[in-house]
Amino acid sequence: MCASVVGVIRVSGLSKRYGDVLAVHDLTFTVPPGRVTGFLGPNGAGKSTTLRMILGLNRPSSGTATINGRPFAHLRAGLRHVGALLDANDVHGGRSAAAHLSALARGNGLPRRRVHEVLAEVRLAGVAGRRLGGFSLGMRQRLGIATALLGDPPVLLFDEPVNGLDPEGVRWVRDLFRRLAAEGRAVLVSSHLMSEVEHTADRLVVIGRGELIAEESVAEFAARGSRAGVSVRTPAAAELAALLTRAGAAVTAEGVDALTVTGLSAPRVGELAHTHGIVLHGLATRTASLEQAFMELTADRADHRAGERR
Amino acid sequence: MSTATPIARPTTPPARFRDLLAAEWIKLWSLRSTRWLLGVGALALIGFAAYSSVNTYLDWPTYTPREQAAYHPVSEVLTGATAALLVIGAGSVGALTVVGEYATGLIRTTLTAVPARHRVVAAKVAVVAAVMLTLGAVVTAASFGASQAILSGRQIGVSLTDPGVLRVLAADALLAPVAALVGMGLGALLRHTAAAVVAVCGVLVVVPSFLKPTVHQWANDLYATLPLYVWRNCLSQTHPRDSPALPTVTGSWVVFALWPLVAALLTLIVVTRRDV
Repeated sequence: MCASVVGVIRVSGLSKRYGDVLAVHDLTFTVPPGRVTGFLGPNGAGKSTTLRMILGLNRPSSGTATINGRPFAHLRAGLRHVGALLDANDVHGGRSAAAHLSALARGNGLPRRRVHEVLAEVRLAGVAGRRLGGFSLGMRQRLGIATALLGDPPVLLFDEPVNGLDPEGVRWVRDLFRRLAAEGRAVLVSSHLMSEVEHTADRLVVIGRGELIAEESVAEFAARGSRAGVSVRTPAAAELAALLTRAGAAVTAEGVDALTVTGLSAPRVGELAHTHGIVLHGLATRTASLEQAFMELTADRADHRAGERR
Repeated sequence: MSTATPIARPTTPPARFRDLLAAEWIKLWSLRSTRWLLGVGALALIGFAAYSSVNTYLDWPTYTPREQAAYHPVSEVLTGATAALLVIGAGSVGALTVVGEYATGLIRTTLTAVPARHRVVAAKVAVVAAVMLTLGAVVTAASFGASQAILSGRQIGVSLTDPGVLRVLAADALLAPVAALVGMGLGALLRHTAAAVVAVCGVLVVVPSFLKPTVHQWANDLYATLPLYVWRNCLSQTHPRDSPALPTVTGSWVVFALWPLVAALLTLIVVTRRDV
């Protein structure tokens, strides 16, 4: 594959201070090509501020963010390098969808047919001439996605893209993200809800209070939840527990014939049992829900927890 | 990564500055409010000039010889009141080209599409200046033509070659782009629709309207830095009076050049420096 067209975002030591508030603190992560990277954090964690710094809209207090090794802020035709949907309402309500996209396309030297192509792709071709002031949030989200696709860029950023979309729209947008990644593009999708990205993302970048909590694959992240582990059912529970503990695992008894094991994989547990002639009646890997792992990890770093009163 | 296939890159030519000019032109012209304001405003100004000329035509026999001697037909093109309207209209449209981006959030979309902010500002300034200069020239020419057609019935028409006439017409035509660019600067500074329009009215129209030449020379020098003041007391007159209390023609042109220049620089600095 041709390396020059592949996009990668590198964020390095990025910080942003607003007066006394440190919105983003020393953030370092990479968004690789060919993957959908979920960018997760509770409300107020600093996701949007980070995205704005990547796009050169906000100046970092320190650190750098680069697209293919270059700061985005000096590019002449940004749409060809990065497609971004930050806020679907960042449009002028007095313009038609076609006029809005035409101005953006023209400013980047893109042919006019791209406007019709992206409008058709997001299924807004029928309302191209209608003024944006009359668009619903879902229609604006589609327009924002159309804007991001306009320049056929190798890097795409989407901030809370499913807000306002109907279930069919949500499925469509997930398929779109998967397809964009499969084409070799770097796709970053932010959300404050794990459920929105767990079916789309290959990797996760999780932040809380402006700091990095995790940067890893979805599977690795799921394993962090406290309910993750291996469930074993065996008539020789006590014997197996002692054996597994010696092998370095943490073992909890779940009744007379069941154990929960963490620190060893299911195949390894099975092998050890077999080697020592212990009969197993059940052996299963139990993954915590991603949502739960996310809640546990961000609980102490959430700025706006539900039910909290000042 | 094995599943990743290369993206087919479009062989589009690189974005040129003239593409940005076209983009700003589309943005300005795709707003119904701009088209209405500029269209109706231009027609209204031409209408006022014609109406005022008709009044002069009808009242001419009642003018004293002294009044007739002091009268100059080119003054029908823009009166003090219509000049104020023109400045408010042009200044507001100029302000809205920037405020419209900030107040709606469109600026984030714009600067994501074209991250090189100085190019966006340069294109916006160029398009606004060109559109407003065209508008000013059309209004001036049409008003002058209508006024001449009406007044020729009294044999009080003037020729473009008469002393001072071309200068007055040039100053009338330039009032719109000067006001529009100053409005842009105020819009960039304030980023709020109502505040920007109030500032345009205050700085460009209301304050200069209250000022009259005084016995204090420092005050006269200060007043002579305001665009509408120098237009009223110097550039709009075919034979400006030569008095130290009044602005000079050269000084007035400098004011007409410096205000939009400083405003454009201010817009550039504010837009490139601030987070959006």
